[in-house]
Amino acid sequence: MKTSKRFDNILNECLERLLGGETIEQCLQSYPEQAVELEPLLRTALAAKQASTIQPRAEFKVRARYQFQSALQEMESKRGRRFFGWQSAWATAVTVILILLLLGGGTVAAAGNSMPDEALYPVKLATEQVRLTLTPSALGRAQLYARLADKRVVEIAYMASKGDPQRVEMVAQRLDTHLARIATLAAAQREKARVMLAPPPAVERAGEDAKVLAPTPAPERAREAPESLPADSRAKLRVLVMDYAKNHPERLRAVLKSAPESVKPALRRAIRASEAGYERALKSIEDTENNRSPRD
Amino acid sequence: MQDEESLMRRAQRRDPEAFTQLYEAYFDKIYRYITIRIGNEMEAEDMTQQVFLKALRSIPSFRWRGISPSAWLFRIAHNQVVDYLRRKAKRVTVPIDKLPPSVSDDNPQLMAEQRQDIEQIALASQQLTQAQREVISLRFAGELSVAEVSKVMGRSQGAVKALQHSAIVALRRVLSVTEP
Repeated sequence: MKTSKRFDNILNECLERLLGGETIEQCLQSYPEQAVELEPLLRTALAAKQASTIQPRAEFKVRARYQFQSALQEMESKRGRRFFGWQSAWATAVTVILILLLLGGGTVAAAGNSMPDEALYPVKLATEQVRLTLTPSALGRAQLYARLADKRVVEIAYMASKGDPQRVEMVAQRLDTHLARIATLAAAQREKARVMLAPPPAVERAGEDAKVLAPTPAPERAREAPESLPADSRAKLRVLVMDYAKNHPERLRAVLKSAPESVKPALRRAIRASEAGYERALKSIEDTENNRSPRD
Repeated sequence: MQDEESLMRRAQRRDPEAFTQLYEAYFDKIYRYITIRIGNEMEAEDMTQQVFLKALRSIPSFRWRGISPSAWLFRIAHNQVVDYLRRKAKRVTVPIDKLPPSVSDDNPQLMAEQRQDIEQIALASQQLTQAQREVISLRFAGELSVAEVSKVMGRSQGAVKALQHSAIVALRRVLSVTEP
């Protein structure tokens, strides 16, 4: 037993030295008595180490860094807004409504069908924000995000047909955010149900594992209003998201076939993002229906 | 990297620069660890992003109890992997060799070789126990020390060393069988 423990230590020391740049031979020289047993293990470890030096794709790193920085900025802006909380959200909505009223009903209606390369597109996005702000329930907002995802897919298809990869990328990012919001809002419902059903915890869960399970961001929960028919709303949301989960990637793949070469990489990323986003959203909705956390 | 404890404290105070430093220092390692654990690059990409977004959300609850940022991040990644494997067990997935080639890869030959390496190590590691696979991924892909691995896995350093030994022995056995 002691011998085995000693060998474990020797092996580990040699591994550290190998990882630090020394050669296998240098390690073996330090432990000639164990050399026969050590050598094949060190060669295997070195092979495993070399096979593990995988580099993430450059384009993935760029995309991931962009998303991380966006999340960081969003967190910062939420922090700034937290002082005002609800009032701020409503104040923003009222301001936007006033601007939209000034623009006139016709402008708003026309903006509803505008595309990302058109002048009225910002009005369309502002109108969507107002609708989201004025939707009190989490499930209602989740449904709205699903319908907005549908609009984004139409826009991606349109921009792809016009051969504009930047705008395809930009709208795909929005689509990704919408789908992430659906998952977050479903999770918020789950948390709410847990809080309502569960007795107060007697003992805090030990270890960092418990801390890793981050609660849903406070602003989303704080805005939540009681659901009149939560089970019915959840079922509607699931049906809607399931339909789009099948339909949207299919539509984008169909667009890919006839799209100009210049937009194909951006389109493929959009397809992957939509598939992954819908999978996450559906998983979150299903977990909510079964009232279980993602790690249950 | 600067003193890890002060970096974490700055990150907890929502210092974007500190967050970015953590991200840049661990992104590749976390990606490698997840890829080796699950053997699927596309899923690994998605999960790597999720690890950092989750870290961003949960950093206020981080408590400095001798757990380094790397151990903390890898524990989040570990939880993601466990969750993924649990879900995967319930559904059919696309094996790595059936995946479409990555888009806009500058060096297709290098990518193909890399894919082969991932496939080989992922296939070989499937013959190991979960704990052995974990220790190999954390040590070689995540580049964690034994002390850090022991924090992530919640085992003593002696136990990690023993596990590392048995994992390499098992890996050697599997690789020597599969080699032509």
